[in-house]
Amino acid sequence: MSDAKQTHEPDAESAADEPLSVDRVADLCDDLAANVSRVIVGHDEAIEHVVTAILGRGHVLLEDVPGVGKTMLARSIATSVDCTFRRVQFTPDLLPSDVTGVNVFNQKTREFEFQPGPVFGNIVLGDEINRAPPKTQSALLEAMEEGQVTVDGETRELPAPFTVIATQNAVEPNRTYDLPFAELDRFMKKLRLGYPAPNEEAKLLERTVGHHPIESLDPVTDRETLVRARETVAEVRVEEPVRAYATRLVGYTRDNAQVGVSPRGTIALLRAAQARAVIDGRGYVVPDDVKAEAPVVLSHRIRTHADAQDGTDVVEDALERVSVDRTRG
Amino acid sequence: MSTESGSDGTRSVSVDADATVGSELFRVLALGCVLIATASYVTVLREVTRIVGGTQSLFLVVGVALVVATVFARLVRPRTATAAAFAAGAVGFAYYFEVSGVGIGGALAGLEEIVADTVRLATGLNLLRMIEAGTWTIVFAPAPAFLSWYLALRGRYAASVVPAGAALLFLVLTGDAGTTATLIGALGALGAVGFGELERRGGSIAQADVLAVLFAIVIVLSLSVTIVPSGPAAPVTAGGGDDGTLEGTIDSASEQSGIAGTVDLSPEVRFTVEADRPSYWRTGIYDRYTGDAWVRTGQDRPFEDDVPPPPGSEERLRQTVTAETELGVMPAAAQPLSVEGDVVDYTEVSMHGQIRPATPLAEGDSYVVESAIVDPSPEELRNAGTDYPEEVTEYYLQTPEGTSSEFEARTAEITADAETPYENAVAIERYLRSSKEYSLDVEPPEEDAAEQFLLEMDEGYCVYFATAMTQMLRAEDVPTRYVTGYTAGEPTDDGEYVVRGLDAHAWVEVYFPEKGWVAFEPTPGDERDEVHDEALEEELDDEAGDEDDQSDGDDADDGADDEASDEDDRSGVDDADDEPSVDDPADDLIERNDALAGGEPADDGIDVRDILALVSVTRETAAMIAVVLIGLVAGVHRTGAVARARRTLGVYRHGRRSDPDRDAERAFRRLEWLLAREHRPRRRGESAREYLRALAAETDDGLAHDPRTAAVLERYERAVYGGGVDRETADESIAAVDDLSRERVPLVGRRRSEGAE
Repeated sequence: MSDAKQTHEPDAESAADEPLSVDRVADLCDDLAANVSRVIVGHDEAIEHVVTAILGRGHVLLEDVPGVGKTMLARSIATSVDCTFRRVQFTPDLLPSDVTGVNVFNQKTREFEFQPGPVFGNIVLGDEINRAPPKTQSALLEAMEEGQVTVDGETRELPAPFTVIATQNAVEPNRTYDLPFAELDRFMKKLRLGYPAPNEEAKLLERTVGHHPIESLDPVTDRETLVRARETVAEVRVEEPVRAYATRLVGYTRDNAQVGVSPRGTIALLRAAQARAVIDGRGYVVPDDVKAEAPVVLSHRIRTHADAQDGTDVVEDALERVSVDRTRG
Repeated sequence: MSTESGSDGTRSVSVDADATVGSELFRVLALGCVLIATASYVTVLREVTRIVGGTQSLFLVVGVALVVATVFARLVRPRTATAAAFAAGAVGFAYYFEVSGVGIGGALAGLEEIVADTVRLATGLNLLRMIEAGTWTIVFAPAPAFLSWYLALRGRYAASVVPAGAALLFLVLTGDAGTTATLIGALGALGAVGFGELERRGGSIAQADVLAVLFAIVIVLSLSVTIVPSGPAAPVTAGGGDDGTLEGTIDSASEQSGIAGTVDLSPEVRFTVEADRPSYWRTGIYDRYTGDAWVRTGQDRPFEDDVPPPPGSEERLRQTVTAETELGVMPAAAQPLSVEGDVVDYTEVSMHGQIRPATPLAEGDSYVVESAIVDPSPEELRNAGTDYPEEVTEYYLQTPEGTSSEFEARTAEITADAETPYENAVAIERYLRSSKEYSLDVEPPEEDAAEQFLLEMDEGYCVYFATAMTQMLRAEDVPTRYVTGYTAGEPTDDGEYVVRGLDAHAWVEVYFPEKGWVAFEPTPGDERDEVHDEALEEELDDEAGDEDDQSDGDDADDGADDEASDEDDRSGVDDADDEPSVDDPADDLIERNDALAGGEPADDGIDVRDILALVSVTRETAAMIAVVLIGLVAGVHRTGAVARARRTLGVYRHGRRSDPDRDAERAFRRLEWLLAREHRPRRRGESAREYLRALAAETDDGLAHDPRTAAVLERYERAVYGGGVDRETADESIAAVDDLSRERVPLVGRRRSEGAE
């Protein structure tokens, strides 16, 4: 299967590249969310965020304590869309080639053969990414940014869709390599799952103790459809007032923090907003989409003056103070 | 269309009012305002040079300063430029000290005096009082003009206003800058800073309305509240003479003598003089003519009996003068040489040789003056020649710039046969006395009083006669000065002369080499006496012969006539045919009655003119009113009164349709106002959707829950963010909001909705 993905050229998809209608994508997303929530209890919002990230061609960073279902979330989404799911457990001794793959000498053919690494999947889970040394981290992050990996001078396209869901362990800070600020920027969203509410946890136990529902999870769509849905999202209309609003929001963070949101962040914000509009069944972005996405898309790109953990407060202020409509002042 | 949402959450709609104008426009406006501020004080300085000469030089130096500033703005840093401006100013003033004869060394040695002089200037000493006013002006002007223009070109408008403002402020303190110039300067400065800010911050035209409001406030304030002293301080008149009296006009302030319109006569007794013979009692000498006033240059110094006697033959006259009211002057026959009495300690003498008290004399103060009477024969005067000393030609030949050639031509015509200065003087004196009538009831001159009197007016009073004669003689290069004082007054039996307010007078002194200053009298004596007697008579009638009676009045006539004859004789006017030197009291009486009879209609004429004066509005006033009105409009706009009114109406009526997108948006805005009225206004960071959702959560029922509201919102979003709506959709929105709003018209709406149920 990985071979098939590997030789799959983006051009070959163009026949099936016709965007879906907005309504179909919206239905699809509903199905997807419903499917995933059979496994993941109580994180509907996070599920929605991951779905919008996938549709908006972004990557997600999940930061939380272990055991709240980060991996399960990634897996169940991958299963639901019938995509290949790869997992890399980042450890301090992990090498870049362990992520990207290596050329292996085949005794039979007497040739080097490329052995693709775990990065060649549609949905890649980078578990505890902050435990690996920066060199290994950057191997994954380069793949995220470029959509391709280079091994021994040969550049290989990654499959489409390609979404990285990385998790970050927040409990053992002295045994980790924090992601550099510049690399954090490459994640479209940074999410926190958090502990489930007591009643939800009870439901979770009821479902998972015994037979885990992930085993019986069926795909609700296929990879082709997902690619077409992404095209739909890319064509969602973003009118000038919305762009201006996003610019104002971002401008506010730049004025009110040590490091504000980068232009890459602005692009990510609008892409996420596009996906959200589609989920809502609209072919155009309204400011509410931007507002819904801004906290998860912008917060980790901001370094506050007080050097607090992230820019959540700044984004909240921005959402409250920046006028949605154009102002005169 | 755009929406403003203020911090208080109020919202208003305006049509493209926030279209930002290129900062280029604001830059041009700001620079223009700096030029206006500069022009305001240059205009004041020009007013000085107009009188003393040097306007071209003034414009030249200011122009050069602006050009240099333009060049420097590109090349030189601000600190260097500021240093250059101060250096230029220092060099300029050094030059001024050289010219004024003090010398740089002297200036440095006498720093205290310079400081004192500056303080005097800043406390109301007019520039015109300065001997080298022209040089001073030219030295003063370029430095602030350079600096403010330089800073303005560098974009530092606030800083650029400082030198211009300082220059203007100084001129305001000297009393030279009038209200209009000050106001325009202040508006220019305000505009420079305001437009400069707008340029710097990329403001829009809509924000310029604040500036308009400020302009209006400045004008209204400056017209209603007097903060700065404009013009000379309150005049120290002789014995509190009322404004509008001849006396008050002549001696409106110690350093200045005005030329007014219609004046009254005050019969109050001012002082008495005990002397062997009558004389004109001189109180002031003026050398600088501005066109509508006379200014005395130079400073006073304590009187120390050191006034040089006139060079020619002389005769001494001892007078004992007793003030009968408070008196701001020290009348004395020309030329006072020594003063005795208590007042001597605070007697000052002007540069021109006139004594005056440093503080007004109190009633009953008395002093003895010894004067040197200059009384050369006509023959002597004819042969006096024209070998004038330099200090005489320097001060007493001044004429304002722009004296018309017509004036000079007429003067030349009148003096065509005259060969010597004396003959010139006599010719002019004779011409004025014969061709002009005496009247106290004249229109105030608009331009040059001398010119207007000679060329246009048929009547006037002593001020006009003396002014015209002075300027005519100066046009013929004869050093002449304008002097004020009192005529001899009314003689009493015990050798005293009682001088009243109505005896106030102005005449002329002409300089003759080796002889000194000789008085000439261009005012027709008999006519003057008639008018003055009338005034006295009226007063005496009022007082019902309280102290004087009719016969005394006649005596006064005689005395004045005698005196006038003396004057004639002294100046050698042999024109007995034209002017009866001795009046027949009977004729006098008849003429006086005629004059009285004819006096009535004249009063009516004045009334009409007064009314016309009230009605007519000058161009400046009109401009001020326009600025105030614009400011008002801008203020109304700024406070959003119009927008609010339009909004209140707009809630109920959609108004003219435009394209569907705009209509859908406007429909939503109307809905928003309805919501704001019913619930609360939308918050700043709240999106339309959030707003409705929040309202729906806050309330159980009402507009926020109405399905039509949601539909309008949806259409609005589609119009603004979704690429537009069609006409039909927009109309649906409009119809929905129309319904929603009409259901909520106070009273009517409620009844209607109740009726519908």
